[in-house]
Amino acid sequence: MECYSEQTCAIFVDGELAADEAQSLQKHLASCQRCRKLVDALRAENCALGESLNELPQETIRPVDFSPARWTWRREDLTILAAALALGSMVVSWIDKLSIPSALEWLNPFSPDFLLNMIFNLSYYFAHGGTAMLADYAAVVGGIFLLLGGATLLLARRWRLHQSTFRVLTVLVTLSLPTLALDRRHGEFVTVAANETVDDTLVAKGNTVVIEGVVNGDLLVFARTLEVRGTVKGDVVSLANRTVVSGIVEGRIFNCSQSLDLDGELGHSLYSWGRSSRVDRRAHLGESIVAGGDISLEGEVKRSATFFGNVDVSGTVGRDLTMAGRSLTLTNAARVGGNLTARVRELRDVHIADGASISGKRDIQLRVRRNQFTRPRFYLHLVVWLAAAMLVGWLCLTLFPGFSQACTQAVGSGWRSLALGLGVLAGVPVAIVVAAITLVGIPISLMLLGVYIAALCLAKVWVGAFLGRILLKPAGATKRDWLLGLLAGLLILTIVGFIPYLGGLVRFGVVCLGLGAFAWQLYQSSRPVMTS
Amino acid sequence: MEGLDLERVLERARGQDTEALGEIYRHYVRRVFGLCRHMLDSRERAEDATSEVFLKLQRSIKNYDGSIPFPRWLLRVAANQCIDALRRQRRRRQLIVEGENEAEVLEAPGAGPSPLSAVVSKEERTRVRDAIAGLPDTFRLPLVLRYYSDLSYDEIARQLGLQRNNVAILIFRAKQELRRKLARGSK
Repeated sequence: MECYSEQTCAIFVDGELAADEAQSLQKHLASCQRCRKLVDALRAENCALGESLNELPQETIRPVDFSPARWTWRREDLTILAAALALGSMVVSWIDKLSIPSALEWLNPFSPDFLLNMIFNLSYYFAHGGTAMLADYAAVVGGIFLLLGGATLLLARRWRLHQSTFRVLTVLVTLSLPTLALDRRHGEFVTVAANETVDDTLVAKGNTVVIEGVVNGDLLVFARTLEVRGTVKGDVVSLANRTVVSGIVEGRIFNCSQSLDLDGELGHSLYSWGRSSRVDRRAHLGESIVAGGDISLEGEVKRSATFFGNVDVSGTVGRDLTMAGRSLTLTNAARVGGNLTARVRELRDVHIADGASISGKRDIQLRVRRNQFTRPRFYLHLVVWLAAAMLVGWLCLTLFPGFSQACTQAVGSGWRSLALGLGVLAGVPVAIVVAAITLVGIPISLMLLGVYIAALCLAKVWVGAFLGRILLKPAGATKRDWLLGLLAGLLILTIVGFIPYLGGLVRFGVVCLGLGAFAWQLYQSSRPVMTS
Repeated sequence: MEGLDLERVLERARGQDTEALGEIYRHYVRRVFGLCRHMLDSRERAEDATSEVFLKLQRSIKNYDGSIPFPRWLLRVAANQCIDALRRQRRRRQLIVEGENEAEVLEAPGAGPSPLSAVVSKEERTRVRDAIAGLPDTFRLPLVLRYYSDLSYDEIARQLGLQRNNVAILIFRAKQELRRKLARGSK
């Protein structure tokens, strides 16, 4: 009988030869001394290999640091830390009393006023398709984050900026920040007296802030009431509950107050978002106005006006007037230098007095709400959305396989995820606002905002994948199973989401569940794993 | 730590008992590190991979169903970790690419005494380890998975994304290459 090849003998010695072949080889060995020797030699070889490999190298193993942040402190890191601490202490000593002033009580989410406002605003928001807008917004922001994240991951490998250069740049950028000239004031009443001039940008916080003198820089105010009776040569940024400008602002006004009264001079434009904005008869705007809420325009706007909400015009708009919202009223005194474009729900909400003068064209459009299911765009939007969600899911699973699987599993804990999600959904915006108010915390709040938006985007992915897994019950836990489950889950969630009333609730529940699972898993992975 | 004792520790570890996880770590760290050291090309990488394996263990221990012995399962996890690390390092998905593993003309049986079979002293074993470390990934990985982790050809094929036949050929060729290296070294 012909001898077996060395390779077959080697496979035999490894115990991996098919049973029948092994049997015939065994028979052959009984009669062939040459092959027997070979098999013995191969066995000895395997033993030697095993022994050599199993004799563990006499190297001491660095004790594994199981703490969550495995960061080794290097000299450069300490330099950065020292620089950051120094900078921090400078800023902190500069903006002393970092506590939130009582003037910001109206921002307190637990005050009855705030709750009432929130309930009113939320119901209005959801009634007017706010969820879709939020989803679109979240999709866009999520896309940007993904793009940036992906680019960073890809580029970081190929294009490694020399670390120390990067660190020096960081320190330089950080240290260059406090070169801005700022003057800060706080107290119950902050006043810039009539004979006083502030040469820098003024940051003021207090109950009432009154500017009677001159501010040569910008004015940034957090207060209950802001009154500008004097002159501000730069821009005014107001986060006051009530803002009254009767003096002169040479720059622009960015306003986010409940009410704004402007009856002074404004050099450039006004951007206002609040419940009510009134531009008084005596007011004069050098450029344009963009405002939302209840708007009453009695003064003069040199250029265009863009409004969202209920608009009442009895003043002058130099160029086009564009509005979208519930109602538009132009009184006899109203003058529009350009075109009038309005988008309203019903024609009876538009009142244009005979005496009102409109130089350009009138274009009144009715916002007819067609059934969304009859529009092809709706389906296209849906497909794009699903594809994007699948892509996000795939990316998550590829980049963080363990985390994604664990998040999906965490959804299954039901009440824990739901309660945690609810807490995170409500709590994080408050934390963002609180962090942003302290100025030093602005970068933290921005980062938090980024994570929050990303988590909102991902919530549906976790819940979808979980739902899919329950329904499809895949045998394995492969990537394909997970993605298939995600597709099935997302389809179901999307369809259920269109059921009136129940759909909204389901969507809300999904966001809470997904957010809760994400937060829980983040917490889990940041916990020290074990002690060595 | 064997039998019931191991089972008890595993049960506790499944309930996220950090002490039990610590026990597992202490008991198996050298074994896991050994595999990582053989599979990866530097001690630092091996240490990193070992840490990763035990960090992942906390999350993945609930997936261990007891169908295979725990040490074998743990070594499989460790092998996966090393393969991932190598893939990242080499920037390619398939570590052992087509063309590297085709069969060559096989030698006739009885080809002389192997320098490997005569390994007895500590120095010789170190020499063998060094020679293995000098093998290319294509040969080193299947060899280590077979004779250190005791994985079957099928398991190795799954882990490296190869055909079972190719695994047999690679292991065989790895040994030939090793013999050649050792013979060259002893001359």
